[in-house]
Amino acid sequence: MNTSESTVQAPQPPRLPFRLERAELLKLRKSYGVWIPTAILTVGAIVIFYLAVELFHVSNSAKYAPAGGTDKFQGALLLMGQVAGMIAAALVGAAAGTQDISSGVFRDLVSTGRSRTRLFLARIPGGLALLLPLMAAAYALAAVLSVALASGLATPSVALFAKSGLYVLFSGAVVYVIALGLGSLVGSRAATISILIAYLLPVQGILRNISALGRARDGLLSVAVERLSPLAPPDARDQLHMSLATSLIVLALWVAIFAGLGLWRTQKRDA
Amino acid sequence: MATQNEYVIETEGLKKSFGRQVAVDGVDLRVPRGSAFGYLGPNGAGKTTLIRMLLGLTQPTAGTMRMLGRPMPKERSRALARVGAIVEEPGFHKHLSGRENLWVAAAAREPAAHLRIDKVLEQVGLADRADDHVSTYSQGMRQRLGIARCLLSDPQLLILDEPTNGLDPGGIQEFRGLVRAWIAEGRTLVLSSHLLDEVEKICDHVAIVDRGKIVAQGSLSELSTGDDGAITIGCDEPHKAFGAIDGSGSLREVEETAGGLRVLVMPDASLEKVAAELNTRLVTAGIAVHRLEPSHVSLEHRFLEITRRLGGDS
Repeated sequence: MNTSESTVQAPQPPRLPFRLERAELLKLRKSYGVWIPTAILTVGAIVIFYLAVELFHVSNSAKYAPAGGTDKFQGALLLMGQVAGMIAAALVGAAAGTQDISSGVFRDLVSTGRSRTRLFLARIPGGLALLLPLMAAAYALAAVLSVALASGLATPSVALFAKSGLYVLFSGAVVYVIALGLGSLVGSRAATISILIAYLLPVQGILRNISALGRARDGLLSVAVERLSPLAPPDARDQLHMSLATSLIVLALWVAIFAGLGLWRTQKRDA
Repeated sequence: MATQNEYVIETEGLKKSFGRQVAVDGVDLRVPRGSAFGYLGPNGAGKTTLIRMLLGLTQPTAGTMRMLGRPMPKERSRALARVGAIVEEPGFHKHLSGRENLWVAAAAREPAAHLRIDKVLEQVGLADRADDHVSTYSQGMRQRLGIARCLLSDPQLLILDEPTNGLDPGGIQEFRGLVRAWIAEGRTLVLSSHLLDEVEKICDHVAIVDRGKIVAQGSLSELSTGDDGAITIGCDEPHKAFGAIDGSGSLREVEETAGGLRVLVMPDASLEKVAAELNTRLVTAGIAVHRLEPSHVSLEHRFLEITRRLGGDS
């Protein structure tokens, strides 16, 4: 009896590293309101882009070039790095920054005694674990289609593919953290998304065209992100020239300011 | 550093103000280890604000707190690791199942919390619905899921704010059974409620709070009796009996009733001793006594009297 009792082992706690991060991912990937729009804005946007261009080409191949090749790949990169991809990152970041507050779960998480800083920091990898695979899938699709539909046009080199992939993922991660910080600061998903979309689309475009602002426009998010793109934008007149170091500093400031504000609010918020 | 003392919660001069409004006003609270402690007060008395301060959800304006022997908020993480709490209505991610919500909560706890998920779902009677989305749960089921979430930490101390809200009578009965089992296991329960009946049925210690201040604190029997102990006397000649006991120094009020007298004893007097003294006086006076019954005033009577008196003072 004693022998058998002594051999009975107490159940061991499961070895689950990154439990808080996994919990953040679980919350996001189970939310149809988050992952479906994100998938549409990443994979869906590329599908629609190439489908539309290819349809034009098929309907009038004399007037419209094939959907593949470096030229159209550049358009796809712009779509992922600065338009639909940014909005997708904003959607996921806003959801990650606000879902605990809006559901009332934040209070219960805080009352576990777990540090608020840790709760905030877990949202960064948790949300990126949803966003980046979708962006990577969209990018991979764009890369494949740019070759498959080239019809003899020049295609990007392997090095360009690699650089462009990193650029897409990096720009998505930057906007995600900014959205996460803003969401944690504001506490409202709708307000966060509205502010970010308004900034990313009309406001930023207007500001970058006001030449009177001069070098101050280097502080715009899109200008700094665009500098990292391995392909020049389709309309070179839109491009504001800045050094790589300046671009990285500007992006680091954007991330630091918004992540800092979000962390501060998470620490100070009455739960 | 934790000290194993007799109180699991100790506060001194705890205060919380929102601008000019004082929600919690110098509260000195002592919750004995292993007790079922009722924190009783009308709506707006500051009950939830006190709990929110204890759990680190909001910062006190002044005062000190110790929880499970640890100073708060200095050792907040270590103290709260063994505390389970429901504050107001429990919140959940409605797009997740009950089990997934517990998984999320367990992720913020020690790793062993994940091993308890099935057990606590069983305990609160939600095992069959554990994989359904919380959006399909009734309010009572969400309340039970909130209790399950509290139990994930294998808590020494449970703090429940109006826990029977939304529960049907059957659910309330089950809840009382759960609470008794927790107490039997040596856990301490703090039950914040405005429902006197609920506190009387579950708790053995009570603090009555009104407008942010604790106005009475002690065991249920102490508070139920207090200075309002009464003795009902059944006798044949009430008027004569009135005269016989009138000189007793232990009484503060005597009134004739249809079948005898009802007397209120002086503060701190023993009901039993006064009853014996009155019996001697009545028998000596030749009055036939057929009933002599000390009666304890209900907590409800005490609660209403205290809060009404304070209301009249303001």
